[in-house]
Amino acid sequence: MIQSLLAVALTGVSAFAVAVYPRSVLVFLLFQGSILFAYRARIPDWLRWSLLAAALLVLMPAIGYYNGYYLEVATQVGIFVALALGLNIVVGLAGLLDLGYVAFFAVGAYSWAIVGSPHANVIFGGESFPLAGGWFYLFLLVGLGVAALTGVLLGLPVLRLHGDYLAVVTLGFGEVIRVLANNLDKPINFTNGPKGITPISRPPTPLGLPYGEYFYFLALLIVIVVVLVNRRLENSHIGRAWEAIREDELAARAMGVPLVRMKLMAFACGASFAGIMGVLFSAKQIFINPESFTFLESIGVLAMVILGGMGSIPGAILGATVVTVLNLQVLKGFSLWLNELKNAGVTVLGYSLADLPTQFEPAKYERMVFGIILVLMMIYRPQGIFPARRRQREMTQ
Amino acid sequence: MHLFEARGVTKRFGGLTALHAVDFAVDRGISSIIGPNGAGKTTLFNIFTGLYSADEGTVTFRDRSILGRRPDQITALGICRTFQNIRLFANMTAIENVLVGMNSRIALGLWDVLSHSPGFRRTETAVAARALALLERVGLQANANDVARNLPYGDRRRLELARALASEPALLLLDEPTAGMTQGEAGALMRLLRGLVADLGLAIILIEHNMRVVMEVSDWVTVLDHGERIAEGAPREVQENPRVIEAYLGTRSPGRRRA
Amino acid sequence: MDVALLIGIFPQVLLDGIILGFMYALIALGYTMVYGVLEFINFAHSEIFIVGAFVGVEVMLGLKSAGLLDGLPWPVVLVLVLVAGMAGSGLLAVTVERVAYRPLRNAPRLIPLISAIGISFFLQDMIRLFESLWRNAFNLVYPTLDALNLRFELTETLDVSVKSLVVIGGALGMLWALHMIVNRTKVGTAIRAVAEDQAAASLMGIDVNRIISLTFLIGGAMGGAAGVLFGVQYGLINPYSGFIPGLKAFTAAVLGGIGNIPGAMVGGLVLGLLEAFAASYLSLLTGGAFGAEYKDILAFSILILILIFRPKGLLGEVVRERA
Repeated sequence: MIQSLLAVALTGVSAFAVAVYPRSVLVFLLFQGSILFAYRARIPDWLRWSLLAAALLVLMPAIGYYNGYYLEVATQVGIFVALALGLNIVVGLAGLLDLGYVAFFAVGAYSWAIVGSPHANVIFGGESFPLAGGWFYLFLLVGLGVAALTGVLLGLPVLRLHGDYLAVVTLGFGEVIRVLANNLDKPINFTNGPKGITPISRPPTPLGLPYGEYFYFLALLIVIVVVLVNRRLENSHIGRAWEAIREDELAARAMGVPLVRMKLMAFACGASFAGIMGVLFSAKQIFINPESFTFLESIGVLAMVILGGMGSIPGAILGATVVTVLNLQVLKGFSLWLNELKNAGVTVLGYSLADLPTQFEPAKYERMVFGIILVLMMIYRPQGIFPARRRQREMTQ
Repeated sequence: MHLFEARGVTKRFGGLTALHAVDFAVDRGISSIIGPNGAGKTTLFNIFTGLYSADEGTVTFRDRSILGRRPDQITALGICRTFQNIRLFANMTAIENVLVGMNSRIALGLWDVLSHSPGFRRTETAVAARALALLERVGLQANANDVARNLPYGDRRRLELARALASEPALLLLDEPTAGMTQGEAGALMRLLRGLVADLGLAIILIEHNMRVVMEVSDWVTVLDHGERIAEGAPREVQENPRVIEAYLGTRSPGRRRA
Repeated sequence: MDVALLIGIFPQVLLDGIILGFMYALIALGYTMVYGVLEFINFAHSEIFIVGAFVGVEVMLGLKSAGLLDGLPWPVVLVLVLVAGMAGSGLLAVTVERVAYRPLRNAPRLIPLISAIGISFFLQDMIRLFESLWRNAFNLVYPTLDALNLRFELTETLDVSVKSLVVIGGALGMLWALHMIVNRTKVGTAIRAVAEDQAAASLMGIDVNRIISLTFLIGGAMGGAAGVLFGVQYGLINPYSGFIPGLKAFTAAVLGGIGNIPGAMVGGLVLGLLEAFAASYLSLLTGGAFGAEYKDILAFSILILILIFRPKGLLGEVVRERA
């Protein structure tokens, strides 16, 4: 009862506070915290889901109305949640450490970027491109399919590799995709190289929604579908077969798990989530180039999965949220705050902050954040913040 | 025709011949394979379950060749096994371990899972009930939701048996199922196996070092030494065979063998 | 196609390939030694390598500001810088092992690998942080020593700089020293014993932890030497420029047969030559359709193909795989 009241109050107050202080990062973090609290608190399920629905469907877009940047952050969080859930299948469930995961995101993004921009005319000739914005919806599925196919193509040659060798080969594969994206502007100009592709078409929005809100809702919808798919896979013979492969590949084979098919399915399923979000990402950004698809991104998604807990769906969601918010808000917020202090001429212990070297930009230390997360989690809590809970089966009572 | 028949099975590792032209056949009941350390017993199991390929020879099950088939295909045909050094899925629960064993009996695709089709619901209910029944059969019904690695040693051995049974095998291969058990536990396990043979019409092949168990429970005993079959027959006959006695007294070594 | 041109640049490309190859070989030693002992990919070795380059440049800049850079004879400067780079990287490698790997030695295999990836990223930004605060710049340029830039014209199309000779000579010296340590000293015997069987080695009275630290020290020092030579040869370094050479060197180690010290040298040379030739000839041979950038794809393709089809590498050390 107390927790119920607390959850309602926290959600309401924090949302109100965001409306009053639309520029305060701390207040927005409080709002995010209230969502987490509502999810974890011991409250009736109907209340939990109403609170979450209210926060995500009503309050968040309303906050976005006051400060579009928060909506952008929320959309980015959605994109990374889907990526983390996809990687979670490959790494968390099937135990295949994929260090080139962002390649699938790239494949999805380029599949729409090329035909959704005039760039396709360069490749195919004629004047029929860009495709009309409505094709975007079809390409959500095309991106998903192309990424899944890429997943299978990557999976086939690496089937025999385990553990760290698999990790290094997938890393190499991710780099190959990036180098290709950078250099396939000749002999035929597929990707336009480092210059990237722009402008990428956006779909017409229903009900005249602004694009910020539109992409937020679309990302949220995809995330909901992805979570549902993930749960169903996990609680099925497919999910159990993946976990069996992770635990003991040889025993899994001997118990009747078709290794090749299940591994390829894991790669394909994981990749497909990244593919569909890639399509959304390219339309949202209007412009893409290979810089968005580096090894850094792959490790970022890995850090999300590790932080939340390998094999755990709530873990992947939490990890993606925390890491994205750290990078987009906390580091940047710290940078801005420091700049304000510098400009105000504040001194700390007799040291004028204005003397700080100009190259010291706290916003640029994503790698350090990822690195610290990975090392500390491995040493102190390898199972993550929300460890995968053994699922109780209803039949067993 | 036999249910299961191996003829002239030969396996070499580099210059070492691990198995040399071994013949072996099973129809029903419990057959044991015994022999000193390094005689090639586990190698034989690995060939029978598709983990190794044979260099020469034929292996047929229900008149179909199993050589060249993948382990999961062989399991689907109806042969399943346990491992000498227990290979459970350590971080999965007992019932999940058993459910993995049913994998080859679940004919559902990705779409059934994603759409929760009626077939999927029916199957999930049925396999869960069957998994529980199997756990009950081996006496682990109370441990269904315990994580496998937390189970005591004897329970893990029995869980591995339940997992193997889950694939509905007609032929069950057990690699030293009583290793590490007390004489009492071993006896209980053998009664369980006898019951399985009687109720399900299973054929079982045992690799066993506990001679008392072997002599009590086996219908047929095959003796391997240095990769060759040196004797076979009813337990009593084998026990009195001079070549067998020589092989055991001559080469027995105290350390544990490797798989 | 200009055949004369293709033949004409051949010796120069060969020389470039050899220099690159020795660089890879030196870095690859760090991967291969650690793998030999722990069966673990020290992912952070690429940063341990680049830290050597940064320690080197700091020492040189320090000497420069003290007015000693041109005052001391250039071989003395080089030795000083090399020793400092090796010490810095070696000690860093030991620290990293102690902090981030040792607590995880008995964990499932992917756990220390992920920790190593974390260390790699952490170190990249630590270098950046340090240099940003210290020099307000993290893209640093090695000060030039005039003597090193002297060039000898061997033929019309081939000239060789003192710098290149120093790099080749330095690399050869390091490899020889390592060979002597591993094969001719008691410590080397202990390292090989631990690599063979840790439990048995410890029963024989070898302090396994000490030997593992020592392995990291030696491997790190080799990486540090490579870092200094890298800086001397190519001039410009930044905190992130260790990553790709590190990955290539790992490829070289796998190519030669990971865990195998002569294999790392062979693998390094082969990869260096392949890359140099790809970089120079690919564009010429395909009429500009595929440029030098594809040398990276070549390296990664080699890595993937070797791991899939010949995981024991060229020299045939069997890779022990634990699932």
